Amino acid sequence: MSAADFNPNPIPEQGVYSSAVAPAKEPGPTSAGNKLKSNRIDGIIRPATFEEPGTDDEGPVENLPVDVKIGQPLKSRAQPGYYPGYNTLSQQKFWDEATRKVVLSRVNEVPPIRFFTPPEHKLMLAICARLLPQDDRDKEHKIPIVNYIDDRLYHDRIEGYRFEDMPPDREAHRLGLEAIEAIAHKMYGHSFVKLGPLEQEQVLQTIHDGNPPAGEEIWQRMSVVRYWTLLMQDAIEAYYAHPYAWDEIGFGGPAYPRGYLRQQNGMAEPWEKDEQPYPWNAPPGSPSAGYKPLGGASGKQTPVGQEGTH
Amino acid sequence: MKEPLLGSFKAKPEPGEHRLGPIQEIHVPMRKYSQDEEVDFCIVGVGSAGGVLLQRLARAGFRVVGLEAGPFWNTERDWVSDEAGSYKLYWNDLRITGGKNPLALGANNSGHGVGGGSVHWAGFTPRFHPSDFRVCSRDGVGVDWPISYWDLKPYYALLEKEMPVAGPAYYPWGDPHGYTYGPHPTAGVSNVLVNGCTRLGIGVSIGGPVAINSGSHADRPHCIYRGFCIQGCKVGAKQSTLVSHVPDAINYGAEIRDNCMVSRIEMGPQGRVTGVTYYDPDKKEARQKARVVIVCGYAIETPRLLLNSACPGWEQGLANSSGTVGKYLMAQAGNVVMGRFDELIRMYKGPPANSLTEEFYETDPKHDFARGFAVQTVGPLPIAFAKQMMVAKGAWGWGLRRVMMDYNHWAPLGVLGEILPWEDNTVTLAEEKDQFGLPVARVTFNLHDNDRKLINFATKKVEDILIAAGAREVVQEQRYAHLVGACRMGSDPKTSVVDGFGQSHDIPNLFVCDGSILPTQGSANPGLTIQALAARTADYLISERENILEGRPFSRISPPVRHDLSPEGTSGRGVPRLKGTALKVK
Repeated sequence: MSAADFNPNPIPEQGVYSSAVAPAKEPGPTSAGNKLKSNRIDGIIRPATFEEPGTDDEGPVENLPVDVKIGQPLKSRAQPGYYPGYNTLSQQKFWDEATRKVVLSRVNEVPPIRFFTPPEHKLMLAICARLLPQDDRDKEHKIPIVNYIDDRLYHDRIEGYRFEDMPPDREAHRLGLEAIEAIAHKMYGHSFVKLGPLEQEQVLQTIHDGNPPAGEEIWQRMSVVRYWTLLMQDAIEAYYAHPYAWDEIGFGGPAYPRGYLRQQNGMAEPWEKDEQPYPWNAPPGSPSAGYKPLGGASGKQTPVGQEGTH
Repeated sequence: MKEPLLGSFKAKPEPGEHRLGPIQEIHVPMRKYSQDEEVDFCIVGVGSAGGVLLQRLARAGFRVVGLEAGPFWNTERDWVSDEAGSYKLYWNDLRITGGKNPLALGANNSGHGVGGGSVHWAGFTPRFHPSDFRVCSRDGVGVDWPISYWDLKPYYALLEKEMPVAGPAYYPWGDPHGYTYGPHPTAGVSNVLVNGCTRLGIGVSIGGPVAINSGSHADRPHCIYRGFCIQGCKVGAKQSTLVSHVPDAINYGAEIRDNCMVSRIEMGPQGRVTGVTYYDPDKKEARQKARVVIVCGYAIETPRLLLNSACPGWEQGLANSSGTVGKYLMAQAGNVVMGRFDELIRMYKGPPANSLTEEFYETDPKHDFARGFAVQTVGPLPIAFAKQMMVAKGAWGWGLRRVMMDYNHWAPLGVLGEILPWEDNTVTLAEEKDQFGLPVARVTFNLHDNDRKLINFATKKVEDILIAAGAREVVQEQRYAHLVGACRMGSDPKTSVVDGFGQSHDIPNLFVCDGSILPTQGSANPGLTIQALAARTADYLISERENILEGRPFSRISPPVRHDLSPEGTSGRGVPRLKGTALKVK
């Protein structure tokens, strides 16, 4: 897939797949072979398997945001965001020991993949690369989102509850991968990992909108929007727990025992940086740049917030 | 500054040390009771209410054991100044949640470990208003409490000094009162609330009431404004019963058994309970005999335990002749409304709980709904804020990356709205089992018409405040906070589980004391009220000493307020401008 294949057309109305956006390719016999299959025995979901698509691996496709000033793709950098030179890890001597241990282990001891099968892992990598795209980060500073998700599922760490219309988290993730693969085939006639970034976003947007065009049997077993929030939450918990993400957004990071002194007017502490925003746009035609209502425009499927604040 | 002036910070406890914050230490060996010994009180759950009860009853000379499902935190070792790393503070065992408006549980609600939910609350401590205790008589909704504000008022005043609470010298809403300890400085988000309210002519309380030390208090330091309140206060400035009451309880001979999960309350002959069965830290079954059992497990685990304790003669669950165990569960509307500002806010600085308005707390005949709401500052850290943006803006992909790059430009405010008690909002037992083989709780939650109207109005009002403060864009997410109810107190044994002291209508030596006994919830954060109710129940139990020891019926007479049982450093402090309060309190 090259950049020339990107579709510059505007985002379609949700639930509508114009032929311009979704090139109607009938799934042929070869592409059907790429389909993710789960082995269901007695209603229990086993790790999904799918036939390897062959050796035509081209590596990740460049999908860079655009520098508005010059109209050219932004160069990927060690530290995207508006706080150049800000580095929370440089402050670790000011942190308490327990915190230092937890944060450094997160950065330096990335957990191995133990829950996802190799094909699931590959698919999950492609999905998370669109849920929280890191094309503007250089290779050395990409946050290994999938490894942290895998670690949670491997240890079966749950958040203390399960919605009654959802299967357990492990099963939900496996079913979701199967569904995403089915949607990719339905919309584009190819495996998700074979699609271009914008097509991949279009596939994911249908789940975000609560209107997936395939996987009906799976969606009878779990709520579309709750699956979306599960997937997004896992990606968010991995990405925004990482010091590189704190540097990107200008968050102060661990702050004990030092604390903060400058609470007024958004002032930076001596070790923080002032904001230096730069104008950028998402890659042209990216649906995820558009902030559409979660669960569709009707608002009927909007889930409640999951996080404690007050 | 590249290096800390005094070198890297080292406060990691030496082996054998039990540290709570950098200064406070538990150094008294804890008393141990044998399991065969019948203690006076067995307290199930050492959280907000359990911690206060344990402290009061131990000081009064009773033999008390507290069983806590989670760990006894050694905070310097166990807690971190990190959002994702604070996962273990919450009740993470499975619960099933459903209904038309299912509640998110987990991090949102009950705690797991000594201190319970008070470990991860934000620390707002407004009192309930006098009207909250009579919403049925006044507004024709919900139900009246069996006690009045005036029964609880002395305990509010006492707990505000024990925690202690920082706040303004004059607080105008409900029963006007003042705070002994000075309010906190404001930070970015509170400035937004104060500016917006002031421009709209809405009164606002600045810098409290919050259970966070604005100055050092005994062996607990002052706040350092790092903003990690709901991740557990490593500083020890924010109150949890772990730091305010538990050390005193241990000094006076209470025993806390941590990592002990109570599986059932045992019934004996003569319709009285005899003690509890629990799983010890090695997951072996153990028993503790007690003259009185007090269940303090909060709004989900308390009804779950009573239901799981069903036995011959109590097939519906213990203390459940009314059938109301597990019914009338409540949560407060906790919508978060977020405004984007041109200027930098840096919402992560300062405690999330700082300023609030209760201007819309009471029923307003101009509205099409009964009761009201408060507006409060909140301060989500990056993970929480990203999840909020995922819901509020539908953000994902590049859109999420972009809005998160603007994290420091957003100011979030929280609605705290009263949702009325409804019979169909319940805690029941699910088919799924936990690690001990015990049925887990199923929580069912539905909004009703009054609730929806209130939430819509409140959300719009907060949007107005943000826009008046200068927000360029305003978005909101619906959520809920503060589970209470499901074992409510009342005068009528046919429609309630316990009386105004928390004593079961059915079983005289079984008490419930936690958020589950609240019949209605106002639009104030429940933490202070839960701890005040615990202090009142403790006074009652202490005044009934002879009846307890002899196994005789209780008198049901309101006890005198025991000012002499507070932790050290409570008495002798006054409130500026309100001379009378200082004189009345010993």
